[in-house]
Amino acid sequence: MRLDLRQYAKPLAESALSVLIGVAVGTLLVILAGYSPVVFFKALFGGAFRSRNAFLDTLSYMVPLTLTAISFAVAARASVFNIGAEGQMYVGALVANAIGVVALPNGVHQVVAILAAFLAGGLWGWIAGILKAKRQVNEVVSTIMLNWLAFYLVNYVATYHLYDPKAPYKTEYVRETARLPELIPRTSLTLDWVLTILIAFLMFFLVWKTSLGYEIRATGINPTAAEYGGVDPSKVISISMFLSGGAGGLAGAFLVLGRFGFITTTLTNILNWGFDGIAVSLVGRNHPIGILFSALFFALLYNGALEVQVATATGGKTGVPIELVLAVMGIIVIAVAVPGLWDMVQERLLLRRKRVEVREEAAGTVGGE
Amino acid sequence: MSKGQLIGILVVLIVIVAGVWYATRPKAPATPAPTTPAPTTAAPTTTAPPQTTAPPKKVKVAVMFDIGGRGDLGFNDMAWMGAERAKKDFGVEVTYVQPRSEADYIPRLRELAGSGEYDLIIGVGFLLTDAIHQVAQEYPNQWFAIVDSATPDPNVRGILFKENEGSALVGILAAYVTESNKVGVVLGMEIPVLYHFEAGFYWGVNYVENKTGKDVQIIYKYTGSFVDRALGKQVSEGMLAQGADVLYNVAGLTGLGVLDAVHDFNVQHGKEFGPPFAIGVDSCQDWMYPGHVIASMMKRVDNGVYYAIRDVVYGNFTGGIVAYGIKEGGVGISGLEELQAFMQIAQEMGTELPDTPENIIAKWQQMRAMYPEEVWNTIEEVKQKIISGEIQVPTTDSPEEIQAIRQRYGVGVLGG
Repeated sequence: MRLDLRQYAKPLAESALSVLIGVAVGTLLVILAGYSPVVFFKALFGGAFRSRNAFLDTLSYMVPLTLTAISFAVAARASVFNIGAEGQMYVGALVANAIGVVALPNGVHQVVAILAAFLAGGLWGWIAGILKAKRQVNEVVSTIMLNWLAFYLVNYVATYHLYDPKAPYKTEYVRETARLPELIPRTSLTLDWVLTILIAFLMFFLVWKTSLGYEIRATGINPTAAEYGGVDPSKVISISMFLSGGAGGLAGAFLVLGRFGFITTTLTNILNWGFDGIAVSLVGRNHPIGILFSALFFALLYNGALEVQVATATGGKTGVPIELVLAVMGIIVIAVAVPGLWDMVQERLLLRRKRVEVREEAAGTVGGE
Repeated sequence: MSKGQLIGILVVLIVIVAGVWYATRPKAPATPAPTTPAPTTAAPTTTAPPQTTAPPKKVKVAVMFDIGGRGDLGFNDMAWMGAERAKKDFGVEVTYVQPRSEADYIPRLRELAGSGEYDLIIGVGFLLTDAIHQVAQEYPNQWFAIVDSATPDPNVRGILFKENEGSALVGILAAYVTESNKVGVVLGMEIPVLYHFEAGFYWGVNYVENKTGKDVQIIYKYTGSFVDRALGKQVSEGMLAQGADVLYNVAGLTGLGVLDAVHDFNVQHGKEFGPPFAIGVDSCQDWMYPGHVIASMMKRVDNGVYYAIRDVVYGNFTGGIVAYGIKEGGVGISGLEELQAFMQIAQEMGTELPDTPENIIAKWQQMRAMYPEEVWNTIEEVKQKIISGEIQVPTTDSPEEIQAIRQRYGVGVLGG
């Protein structure tokens, strides 16, 4: 695999500049609130490096972020705007939890639970894909609706069927045989972190080195041209949505099998990772390697968000409230996501202009004859 | 974007950043802390420590909330209030952490414990139980406390409250006040702590039924959330539509929606006072909608937290369970004293009162005077009997037993 470093220089430089802009705007907010921006940003970016274990715990946040980002990115490569990673994750978590409580031998148990969650999430994504491919249903609308469907479905099953009789606010713990082992004791870093990195590279291979990946990208750039070239866009769209959903399902499975061992009946312990994934993917330019870096960046911020509260509480003053920390984080994330969004819009505009030019040229040639 | 523009933006940015740096640097350590006067009447049960025995060293305490966090004007804010009071009284350093998501619980607790900087780490809320239990095992030399729960670890103090006792008192009030003979309970997530509220409230309603021959129907509903005010309002509106005219809030921030619903209902029907009435929880919530909140079941989480810090300061902190009931000042029904204290606290926290304190108190007294002495006397009488041990209010931690209790009192679920 040959990497041309120059092609990464531009996005990296843009991202760095964006972080600076975000920090500059955030600085104003922090000063207005009466805190020291130096302490604030030192803690926000540096909290994860406070200790070895803090860093390893921070890495563990990459797992759901990377997978839900991949869920967004695979679809985005086929020009499908998948907002449904959240719901796909719920479904995956539920299936992993349901399989996790039955008796199976260690080793087999994890594999079965993970594969089933992948399939379930995949099918959930595929529904939106097939609706778009066959009936031109807008995927933004359908995936948002499917998110709610998934929420209430999982809520229902967890509340009435999978609940823990001793603690009805949550589901039954998955058995030890289904848990993913800790990579390093006393950290939240479990085996799923390694699997997640592997999956990111697998996605890179799939989208850039296989003919299916070529078809996905071709459909994404211009479905009409791809169809003319022998690609079946409706097949590609449904397949890419299946893979998207699968990635979302894995995020849910790993949260249950790796981190928590259960879900609360109102899903409070797995909420929002799917939506975070959209931002992670945009910052990572919908590219698996970019997503890994972007997920690491988000993970640093997530750790920092808590560190800031402690670090700014000095001299009898209470720390920065979490709401302000999240607002500053939001500003930074928006700033960093802008270049990626800008590129996406630019490409679209460029394509449209070219298409118009080609059409005009064709019309001109015809008229001239 | 041209090269010139880019350089321009960069220069502007650098100037901004440098300027901000320069402006903040010299005064960074000197930012004055906002001085808040001590709430004089807030803690009738706390004993002031002897001023002569200064604690030997600067004690540091970390308070960790669950994802509900500050701003609920109840449970979580009360816990922080206790920590702040301890800060003033003992000169301890307190800091709090509000997690972003439940995935933060264990990593952050490990981080706090692993830093070795804190003499005590307090987890606020039942949902932190598993995380505290796990991290307490990993750091056996670190003191922990958890509010509303307990773990088997010797280094963890479980701070519990006898919510059943306080709930019995408001249950009695509810049964007297209801005109439709239908009362409702709006609850958060189905955790054992909330069974205490249920059991006590049902007992209190039943006590009045036996005493007066009134037949009161009770409906309850678990909303599944402590953080969804709109959901609390929605569920309450359902209960009001079914004719319930006293609603007991047992749902944290979600429960503020109960107060909203009752207030809006009364306004829509052109009523200045209930019924329907809401019953507040944890803090004294009577001031929020004067005339519409008949009373609050006070749960002095602040005292529990305050005592834990005090014990660490004076070196007699112990693990194990402590349970605060009416006798220990842990729970109770709100009175004038609490109303005044909590209005003052709300103002100090920057919350705007709906009216001037004098008007709120006047309206509150008018509301309470709508009900005969017999009501208040009965409540006082039961309170004294609970303190003396003559009456023991039932309670439970188990889902099966609460189910049996509900059946015994004929309690129905909303929409079920």
